[in-house]
Amino acid sequence: MFLNVVFSLSALLTVSGALMVVVTRNLIHSCVFLLMSLLGIVGLYVTLNADFVAATQLVVYVGGVIVLMLFAVMLTGGNNTKEVLSRFGFESLPLMGNVKTYFWGILSAITMMSVAGNLIYRVAQSSLASVLEQYKSSVDEIGTKLLTDHVLSFEISSILLLGALVGAAIIARPLGSKQLNEEK
Amino acid sequence: MISLSSYLVISLFLFLCGITVMIARKNIIAILLGIELILNASALNFVAYSRFGHNNIDGHIMALFIIVIAAAEAAVGLAIAIRYFQNRETIHIDSATQLQS
Amino acid sequence: MNQTIVSYLSELFAVNFSPWVVILIFFVAVFVVVNVMALIGGLATYAERKISADLQMRIGPNRVGPYGLLQFLADGVKMITKEDTIPRDADKFIFALAPLLCLLGVLATLAVLPFSSGLTLTDLNIGIFYLLGVSSLVGVGIFLGGYASNSKWAMLGGMRGAAQIISYEIPVTITILSIVLISGSLSLNQVVERQGAFPNGWLLFHNPFSFIGFFIYFIGALAETNRAPFDLPEAESELVSGYHTEYSGMRFAFFALAEYIEVFVVCAVATAFFLGGYKIPFNYGAGTLLGQALQVAMFFAKTFALYYVVIWIRWTLPRLRVDHLMTICWKYLTPIALFNLVGIAMWVWLFNGRSLYMIIKQALVISGK
Repeated sequence: MFLNVVFSLSALLTVSGALMVVVTRNLIHSCVFLLMSLLGIVGLYVTLNADFVAATQLVVYVGGVIVLMLFAVMLTGGNNTKEVLSRFGFESLPLMGNVKTYFWGILSAITMMSVAGNLIYRVAQSSLASVLEQYKSSVDEIGTKLLTDHVLSFEISSILLLGALVGAAIIARPLGSKQLNEEK
Repeated sequence: MISLSSYLVISLFLFLCGITVMIARKNIIAILLGIELILNASALNFVAYSRFGHNNIDGHIMALFIIVIAAAEAAVGLAIAIRYFQNRETIHIDSATQLQS
Repeated sequence: MNQTIVSYLSELFAVNFSPWVVILIFFVAVFVVVNVMALIGGLATYAERKISADLQMRIGPNRVGPYGLLQFLADGVKMITKEDTIPRDADKFIFALAPLLCLLGVLATLAVLPFSSGLTLTDLNIGIFYLLGVSSLVGVGIFLGGYASNSKWAMLGGMRGAAQIISYEIPVTITILSIVLISGSLSLNQVVERQGAFPNGWLLFHNPFSFIGFFIYFIGALAETNRAPFDLPEAESELVSGYHTEYSGMRFAFFALAEYIEVFVVCAVATAFFLGGYKIPFNYGAGTLLGQALQVAMFFAKTFALYYVVIWIRWTLPRLRVDHLMTICWKYLTPIALFNLVGIAMWVWLFNGRSLYMIIKQALVISGK
């Protein structure tokens, strides 16, 4: 019963957060609603017995990525709501095609939705039991698997992070005086 | 009664929201927000299948790698956006139309 | 299932609680813990004023109540009755949200603090990881508070505060990771159980690397809670009180309360990880409630001792400039923390996780035989 309550609350948080990210115009509000959505996803992971993944999501996303996004919003001029909205803003989407485009588009959308609906229906019919088995923490298993079965991906991801760290630091570095003189 | 399909529907909804944000917003950083939503939807999918379909831990490990890659990509993407703003004084995506300035 | 306070109580009284009673007991336990923490936060303001007065050879508050003990209540009443102003062009939603995020981030960490072996609210298997994750919400709250005030000083204070917090999370996390290597589990109760009651069993004296690690953790945690000498984001003389310039009344009280409770949480984690937590000598009264009460008292005694050191440091050392702050973090603390991690990993591998005391004792026993 607790599982249903936690699942409903987390799902509500996630879905409403994602919807508000789409709808709000203010960029900082979008970041805050993304934060809300990510907290909802943490709750969903908890209901799936994925406690380590939930904690990692909390540390990395909430503590890292959101703060990074907020800093970037501040450093790129903030969200000036007083600027003139161009013709191609979210408020006025362009027409994006004529009757033929829309006909083929709607036909393919119906096809894809029916395929997806079929898949979901079949999965919903034959899903495994949703009764919670004996809870055991996933930390030990994940640690073992990371260093035995998936050690190559582990090491490559560490090199990827090193590359991202150095790359981001170099790309966003303020221009040195030599470069400024060259541009003049 | 929670089954696999409820998690799949949630991740589908997140994915659609992410795609809408990527298509319809004109600020580079807003587009990066949409990318984060999409990556989270796929990670949720992996973990849901690992719990309901296969009952092993590999889905969790894939979700960890997705989180790691999303963080690295957000860092590099935001660095590029900041550098772009330093050069062009705007972060409207429609002004980034030329390969050579 | 991880052990919670409800499962411990049901073991102690040998009854099986129905789900509604479980909810009720959790609610009562959380209510008690949050109120005690708020009380400790209030008394910490009083303690700070008294200790700073002692260090500066004056008396401090002694009017309101015996020895001025009710001063924090008077401050609370003052803050509640103040006018709640919002700047005109400020972002109302985020202005209201930021103090709540700070307080949420801090109060959610109280769930895993190891008060005693049975009375921990919940002993999560990922305890310390959850604590680190949730306390990052404080950084987001500070940043949003600085932004939403629509004022230059607040914005600068908010950005500096957020940068400081996310920078100092790194040596703190690496040091905690190195201690987790020794104890073998992320759960805070397991880390405390690994230690003994007397100082030779503490993880502080386990090996020289963890000794250095304690100071790295302490300095990093001081910086994370924006406590002097790292309190540039909220300095009164530098930035007109930084990111909480525009906040008045109860909203400001939320920020201040969050800071004082966070200092308590940080000191509690330091005692759990390095100073032997709640363990009492000879495991006196192991299964009874008296033993639990003694353990809680020992835990609070050690945490308050560290709290005294934190307040002492604030009124002794001058404030750091912001570039010095960043230099200390990235050029000194992080390399030392990484070096500690490698050192502790090698120590655990070489000596099978034995502490320095055990190695010397076994060497003396073997050579004395």
